[in-house]
Amino acid sequence: MSTLPTPDAGCESQHCITCGDVGDPNTVLAVDGDRGLALCCGPDGARNTVEIALVAPVAAGDVLLVHAGTAIARLDDQAVPS
Amino acid sequence: MKFVDEFRDADVGRALAGEILSQVEPGRHYKLMEVCGGHTHSIYKYGVDDLLPANVELVHGPGCPVCVIPMGRVDDGIAIAHREGVIFTCFGDMMRVPGSDGSLLEAKAAGADIRMVYSPLDALRIAKQNPDREVVFFAIGFETTAPSTALTLKRARAEGVKNFSCMCSHVTIVPPLRALLESPDLRLDGFIGPGHVSTVVGARPFEFIPADYGKPVVIAGFEPLDILQAISMILRQLQDGRCEVENEYKRVVPYEGNLRALEVMAEVFELRPHFEWRGLGFISHSGLKLSQAYAELDAEQRFSVPGVRVADPKACQCGEVLKGVIKPWECKVFGTGCTPERPIGTCMVSSEGACAAYYNFGRFAREREVV
Repeated sequence: MSTLPTPDAGCESQHCITCGDVGDPNTVLAVDGDRGLALCCGPDGARNTVEIALVAPVAAGDVLLVHAGTAIARLDDQAVPS
Repeated sequence: MKFVDEFRDADVGRALAGEILSQVEPGRHYKLMEVCGGHTHSIYKYGVDDLLPANVELVHGPGCPVCVIPMGRVDDGIAIAHREGVIFTCFGDMMRVPGSDGSLLEAKAAGADIRMVYSPLDALRIAKQNPDREVVFFAIGFETTAPSTALTLKRARAEGVKNFSCMCSHVTIVPPLRALLESPDLRLDGFIGPGHVSTVVGARPFEFIPADYGKPVVIAGFEPLDILQAISMILRQLQDGRCEVENEYKRVVPYEGNLRALEVMAEVFELRPHFEWRGLGFISHSGLKLSQAYAELDAEQRFSVPGVRVADPKACQCGEVLKGVIKPWECKVFGTGCTPERPIGTCMVSSEGACAAYYNFGRFAREREVV
């Protein structure tokens, strides 16, 4: 048993982004406010369904920090140094 | 991508490295701890340590959520997974953590229905798709991950999903840091604070480090320039004789944290009196369990578990690595008996574990040095 089987999403051999406290910037594409979910695009172009209860309200174009399928913060454009 | 590319700029990195070089006093040795395993991973992946002066040493802290799970806890999960009718779900890295009689991956090979998930919501979806089965989610992680579990449990209850439960092994970051600071083995000059935990808890919980122990803390993001900038900010504090919590990761970390996340965690979880950490032993008020209000979703109440404490393998020195007492390559079994393919200790399992990060990236640089 030398390698990790390929899981459904998010975990690749030797690297699990959820276990590793990794947060990825995801751009909101569409919002389903009734269910508290948003369709987002991750840095690799993959589309993910994201829980938005902790950062709502959000709108298309917002950039969220997503960890374990949940948006835990909103990225602040003003705080990026030029 | 915006928020990523600008923090990987090589020219800015070289300029920051030059600034750091100008900040260190010759003859003084600086020992800085990066608390979070995500930082450890980035440091080795991007070769950040190669850009630092020889007298700035980075020490890897206990902030890898997989690395701190003790063997007995893995055994408890495997015991539940082997129950008739159970689908056991967990994050990818957790599958490979050794218990006293194998890992969850080996239990899966032996016939248990164990499935990897990317988020707790995926586990809940499996429960809804399999109403005649009991679906258990093995929840691990620091305050970064705990809100996601809490929201999922709230959603499970709101949607009346009765066949879903959670084996909660979430931990909190402050108690182990305090334990490390009390340790006589370790002399540190400052801390690179955990960026994504701080997104949830904010910067305030780390104020005890400068107040009680006189050490600077700079909360940092995970890109290479974030880490270099944080090191420069710590050195600047030491130069100025200051000692405070600063926030390099302002683009996502508000000083007060995410209040909604803290609220939902307070509703769903409560502190355990004690929780065992791999290599660090039992630490008071450092683990979370489900609150009374959510007890019916607690897998440890729904199923009986052995709950037996299992000592770490004698050859394994994960405890010393997690405390920063030894470097990964100084462990007796590093790269020989213990590799990412066949880990003995948890630090070799997750890519955020200091041993795995060093094995995957840093050892090549070290081999060059040896040659």
